[in-house]
Amino acid sequence: MSKEEKKLNPEDNWRNFIYNPLTSEVLGRTAESWGLIFLFYVVFYGFLAALFTFMMWVMLQTLSDETPKYQDLIASPEYEDSMQEKNIECESGIFFEQKSRSKLACKFSLKILQVCSGLNDSSYGFDEGSPCVILKMNRIIGLKPEGNPSIQCHVKEERVNLVTFPDAGKIDLMYFPYYGKKAHKNYLQPLVALKVNFQPGSEEASIECKVEGSPNLKNQDERDKFLGRIAFKVTLAH
Amino acid sequence: PFQEKSEFCSFKVNERKDFERIHKCHSEEKMKDDSKSRSKKEQQKELKKDLDLDDHKLSTKKLEEKYETNIIQGLTSTRAAEILTRDGLNVLTPFKDTPEIIKFLKQMVGGFSSLLWAGAILCFIAYVIEFTKDSSVSMDNLFLGIVLVLVVILTGMFAYYQEAKSTNIIGSISKMIPRKALVIRDGEKKEIPAEELVVGDIVEIKGGDQIPADIRILDSQGCKVDNSSLTGESEPQLRSCHFTHENPLETKNIGFYSTTCLEDFLENHPHTFLAGTATGIVINTGDRTIIGRIASLASSVGQEKTPIAIEIEHFVHIVAGVAVSIGIVFFIIAICMKYRVLDAVIFLIGIILANVPEGLVAAVTVSLSLTAKRMAKKNCLVKNLEAVETLGSTSIICSDKTGTLTQNRMTVAHLWFDNQIYRADTSEDQKAQSFDQSSATWASLLNIVTLCNRAEFGAGQENVSIMKKIVMGDASETALLKFSEVIMGDVIERRKRNKKVAEIPFNSLNKFQLSIHETDDKRFLLVMKGAPEAILEKCSTIMFNGQEQPLDESAREAFQTAYMLLGGLGERVLGFCHLYLPEDEFPDTYSFDTETMNFPTSDLCFVGLISLIDPPRSNVPDAIIKCRSAGIKVIMVTGDHPITAKAIARSVGIISANSETVEDIAKRLKIPVEQVNKREAKAAVVSGMELKEMSPEQLDELLKNHSEIVFARTSPQQKLIIVEGCQRQDAVVAVTGDGVNDSPALKKANIGIAMGFAGSDAAKIAADMVLLDDNFASIVTGIEEGRLIFDNLKKIIAFTLTKNIAELCPFLIFIIAGVPLPIGTIVILFIDLGTDIIPSIALAYEKAESDIMNRKPRHKKKDRLVNHQLALYSYLHIGILQSVGGIFAYFTAYAVQGFRPDLLLYLRPLWVDDTINDLEDSYGQEWTKYQRNHLEWTGYTAYFVAVMVQQIADVIIRKTRINSIFQQGLFRNKYIWVGIASQIIIAVILSSGFGSVPILSFTTLRVQYWFVAVPYAIVIWLYDEFRKLLIRRYPGSWWDKNMYY
Repeated sequence: MSKEEKKLNPEDNWRNFIYNPLTSEVLGRTAESWGLIFLFYVVFYGFLAALFTFMMWVMLQTLSDETPKYQDLIASPEYEDSMQEKNIECESGIFFEQKSRSKLACKFSLKILQVCSGLNDSSYGFDEGSPCVILKMNRIIGLKPEGNPSIQCHVKEERVNLVTFPDAGKIDLMYFPYYGKKAHKNYLQPLVALKVNFQPGSEEASIECKVEGSPNLKNQDERDKFLGRIAFKVTLAH
Repeated sequence: PFQEKSEFCSFKVNERKDFERIHKCHSEEKMKDDSKSRSKKEQQKELKKDLDLDDHKLSTKKLEEKYETNIIQGLTSTRAAEILTRDGLNVLTPFKDTPEIIKFLKQMVGGFSSLLWAGAILCFIAYVIEFTKDSSVSMDNLFLGIVLVLVVILTGMFAYYQEAKSTNIIGSISKMIPRKALVIRDGEKKEIPAEELVVGDIVEIKGGDQIPADIRILDSQGCKVDNSSLTGESEPQLRSCHFTHENPLETKNIGFYSTTCLEDFLENHPHTFLAGTATGIVINTGDRTIIGRIASLASSVGQEKTPIAIEIEHFVHIVAGVAVSIGIVFFIIAICMKYRVLDAVIFLIGIILANVPEGLVAAVTVSLSLTAKRMAKKNCLVKNLEAVETLGSTSIICSDKTGTLTQNRMTVAHLWFDNQIYRADTSEDQKAQSFDQSSATWASLLNIVTLCNRAEFGAGQENVSIMKKIVMGDASETALLKFSEVIMGDVIERRKRNKKVAEIPFNSLNKFQLSIHETDDKRFLLVMKGAPEAILEKCSTIMFNGQEQPLDESAREAFQTAYMLLGGLGERVLGFCHLYLPEDEFPDTYSFDTETMNFPTSDLCFVGLISLIDPPRSNVPDAIIKCRSAGIKVIMVTGDHPITAKAIARSVGIISANSETVEDIAKRLKIPVEQVNKREAKAAVVSGMELKEMSPEQLDELLKNHSEIVFARTSPQQKLIIVEGCQRQDAVVAVTGDGVNDSPALKKANIGIAMGFAGSDAAKIAADMVLLDDNFASIVTGIEEGRLIFDNLKKIIAFTLTKNIAELCPFLIFIIAGVPLPIGTIVILFIDLGTDIIPSIALAYEKAESDIMNRKPRHKKKDRLVNHQLALYSYLHIGILQSVGGIFAYFTAYAVQGFRPDLLLYLRPLWVDDTINDLEDSYGQEWTKYQRNHLEWTGYTAYFVAVMVQQIADVIIRKTRINSIFQQGLFRNKYIWVGIASQIIIAVILSSGFGSVPILSFTTLRVQYWFVAVPYAIVIWLYDEFRKLLIRRYPGSWWDKNMYY
C-alpha cells in the first residue's frame, strides 16, 4: 500500500486532499465530520459567549451607577470623608454637599476670570501677545480639598510676569464635592485663568503651575507629572 | 589502471565487503575532482589499501627487510625516533566531537530562539526609529529587546548546561589509563609508553596485557587472545607464529591492537611450564591499525536525528507557523486600520512573544534530564538527553548475546551419568541444585570434577560468596570449580587431601587434560577430562550406579544420544573418566613423568558428561516477554555458533516456544529445506556467511517476514548492515555493543547502547547510552521510562501551549477593538518563565495512565508528539476558555475603577495620548496619563492572575489524557502541588507590591481579583472531565478521534 501511495505524484495528492472522490472527503474529512466540527464549535463558543455575557452582566450589576467601586488609582488617598457635612448651601468658601438624588450644581461665573473670561476679548489675549491659559483640576468624585486650595504659577524667565484670575488662583470650595456624571449633570468644575505678559525682549516662558494650599492635594508625585501640577511653555511668535 | 581500479573498488579482506556497501564505489574519474573531495577519497582509498595486509604471509626474514629491523636486536633508538616523527604517536585519534561552542550556538539559535531573536531585533529597530524622531521617547522597546535577548541567552545556556551535565557523567567513566609496552631496542629490553611504539619494533607480550599495536607474532607460548571486540568470537583464540589463513582477521599469526592477551593463571605454578607469552613485530600503529581504521569509519557514519528532535522540530514549526501567520495577518489588519507602521511592528512583536512558549525549552530539557537521572538509577546512563525518548520509541532491539542476554560466564547446565540427564541450576546464585546426588557414579564424577581442574580461587576472598569469587582459570574450569564448591564445599581441602603428583594441561592436540592424585587408600587415581569423543576413545568401561561395566554398543549409543542432545542445546560438553592405578604396579614411591607418559592413558572408566553454557540472565526472559507485548522486535546478533545462539534465543524467548525456523520445519516434515514455505517459519537463524551472500532486498525480505531473528557468527561489521536493514523498515533501532568494532553500528543506530563493564571506550563514545550492568532487562526498563516521558512531554506541551492563546488574544482584541492593552509583554514573560515553569516540569513526574508496555511502539511518522488534536484542543478549546476568563478579569478591573466595557471600545487613541491628562471615564471623572497607565498595569496584573488561576486548573487536567483525574489520583503526584504552590507564591509576590517597579508593570491587586477567574477555572476542569468521559465511553467515535491528543 505504501508503494502505491508513493507512486501518486504530489499534484494528485494535493487534489485528493482538497477533494477525494473515493471517500468524498474534503480537506481530509467527510462532510459529516466537517458538519460535526462546525456544530461543535458553534455550541462550544456559543456556550462560552453565554458564560461571558452572564458573568459580565453579574459584574456590572455589582457596580453603582453613580460612583465607581474603587477610586484608589486617581483620588488622593488622604482626603477625609466629612468636614462640614451640615452645610448644604451653595455658598462661597465651603463645600456644597447634597444628599438628594439629583444634585444641583453651583454656578461658575465666567466673570471672575475677568480679562480672560472671553466675554470682552474673544481672542483671549492671543492677539496682543499676552495669552490667557485656562487651568482646571481633574474631576474626581467625592474629592473634598482641605484648606484653601489655589493654583500657583511660576515662570522661569525674569522678564515675564503672570497674573492669575480669580485673585491668587483661588479655587472656591463650593464646587466640591463632585457627585459624578449621572447625578451631578450640570456640574462645572472651577477654572483658573493665567495671563502671560511678555515684557519687551522676551519671547519664551516656561511656566509651572501647582495646586497649593491644600494638604490633601498632591502636587509632587515623581511618576505622575500631571498630578496636581502642570508644566508648559509659551513661545511668542512674531 | 585496472589494478588501481580494482584496488579502489573492492576489498581483499572479506569483512571489508560489508563496508563496501556503505561506501559505494565512486568512479575513478570523479575522484580527480576538486582537491577537497579528493583528499577525503584518497583517505578512503588508503584505508582500503592498507587493509590488504600481507604481513601474515611473509617470512620472518622478509619482515625484517620490510620493516628494516632485526628480530633479535630490535630497532635502534634513533631509527625508532625517526619513524615516530614520520608516523606519529601510536594512539587512536579521538572522535571528532562537535565543538562545545557549536553546541552552545545551536542552543542559541535552535527552536524558538530564532523567533525571539527576530522579536528582539524588531524591538531595537522600533526603538531606534522612535529615538531618531524624538530622543525623549520611552525606553520600553529597548528594554523589551534587551529582555528578549537575555531570555534567549539564559534559556540557551540552561539547556546547554543540562546537556553538558549529562554528557559529563560519561566523561568520568572513560578514563584513559596510560599503558606500557615491553620493547626490544638497541638489543635491550625496555619498557616504554605504548604510544611511542613504532612500526618495526619488537615487542614482548605476556598474559593480561593489551596488545599495544597490530603485531605479527614471531614466537608464542600458549598465548591466547580475546578477539571478541574485533570479530565477535567470544572464545579466546590461540596465537602462534604460523600463517593459517589468507584473511588477516582469521590467521593466527597476527595480534590486533587493543585485544587482550589472556593471562595464564598458573604462571607461577610449579607443575606447569611458562605459557601465555608472545613476541611480535609491530606492523601497524595508531589509526592505521585495524581497530583504528574501523573506529575512524564510525565517524564517517552519519547519525540520524533523534525522533524527539524531529518531533520538537515539528512542534516548533507548528507554533512558529501559527505565530508568524497570525502576526502577519494582524500586521496587515493594523495597517488597514490606519495604525502607524511602527505601532503595527510593536503589535507584531507582542504577537510573536505571546505565541512563543519561552519556558518550554527549559521545561523539556529539565524533564528529559530528570528522566535521564531516573534511568541512571536503573543502570541506563544516557549521554545524549534526547536519547531518553528515542529509547521509548524503539521498535527493534539488536542485542548482543554474550553478557547482555547471558551472564557472561560458563556455568554447568546439564550432567549425564547413569544414563540419565540431570539439569543443574544455572541461575545467578546456583543455590537450588536439585538433581539426584545419591548415586555412587555422581560421587566419582564430582571427584574428577574437583581434582582434574587447574582453576583456583584468588587469595583473600573468604567472605565473598562463591559465585562472586574471583577465580584464576579459564571459563570452563572456573564453572566446574564453582559448581563443585557449591555442591561439596571445601574443594581446596579435598585437593590437599588428594595431592596432585602429575599433570598434563589441556592442549588442542590431544584434547584432554589429565592429572594423577594420591588417594586415601594408597592407590593413585588418574582423572581425565576433555572432549567427550576423545575421552570415550580412551575408555573400555563405563560406570553405572557406581559399578564399572564394559563399554558395549548400547552404552556407546546412550553416550552418543546424550552427547548429541546436549550439543544440540548449544552447550559445551565435557567428558570425564578416571582410573585407579593398581597399587602393585604404581607404589606410592612411583615417579610419574608426563614427558614419557609412564602411566596408562587407555582402558579407563568413563564416568559421565557435564555440559556448560553461558546461561541467560534470569531476568532476561521476562524482559523479552515485556518487549514482545510492547511490540518491540528483539533480534539477537552474536558472533557465536548458530546452535548455541539458537539455544540461548530459545531459552530467553527471542525464539518463542512454538515458533520454528525453516530448518525446524524441514526436519519435522522430513523434506529438504528448499521445499519449505518460508512464510510459515516465524523464526530464522541466519549465519554471518549467509548474510554476506544476501542482497539488501533479501535482507529486507528476511526482516519483514520473520518476527524472531537470530544472526549468528556475524562479525561486528555486519551489525551495521543489519541496523541499516532495520532502518529501511522505518524502525527505530536500538543496538547494543561493546567492541571498538561495534562503534559504526552504535553510531548508525537510532540509539546505540554500550556496555558499561565489557564495553570499550570507543563503543562508549559512539553510543548514546551506557548500560551500567550490561543487562538486557535494564534496556526494557529504560524503554518504559522513554515511553512515559513521551506521554508526559505531550502533557507538558499541551499545558504550555494553552496559555499562549490567553496571551495572544489580548493583542488581538487590542488591535481589533481598540481597547487599552490587556496584558503587557513583560507580564507574558513572567507567566512563561515564572509561574508556568515548575508546574510544567512537575508533569514529567506523572505516572503512566495505563500499562505503557502493552502498546505498540509509536509510529515515527504517524504518532506525533504534537498532533493536530493536541494543538486544536489546547489552542481553540482550553486556550480560548482561558482567554475569555482573562478578558473578563480585565474588563472587571477597568469597570470597578470607572471605565465600563462599552467605553473602552476604541478608546485606545485617546487612552495612549500623552497630551491628554483629563480623559473622562464612564462616571465623569478625569484621568491623567499616568493614572491611566497605572490602571492599565492593574489590568495586566488582573489578567495575569486570571491566567495563573486558570493554569492551575490546566495543570490539573493535563495530568491525564484519557483517565479521569480521580482515577489517576489528585494527590499522587506531589510535584504537581509543589508546582501549583509555586504559581500562587510567584503571583502573590508579583501582585503584592514586589512587582510594582515601573518597568515590571505589575500593581498591587485587591484580593477579590483572585477569584474573578475561578468560575472559568472550574469550567475548564469540568469540560475536560466531560471530554475524557466521552472518550472513555465511546472509543473510536468522532469525539475520540478529534478530542484525544
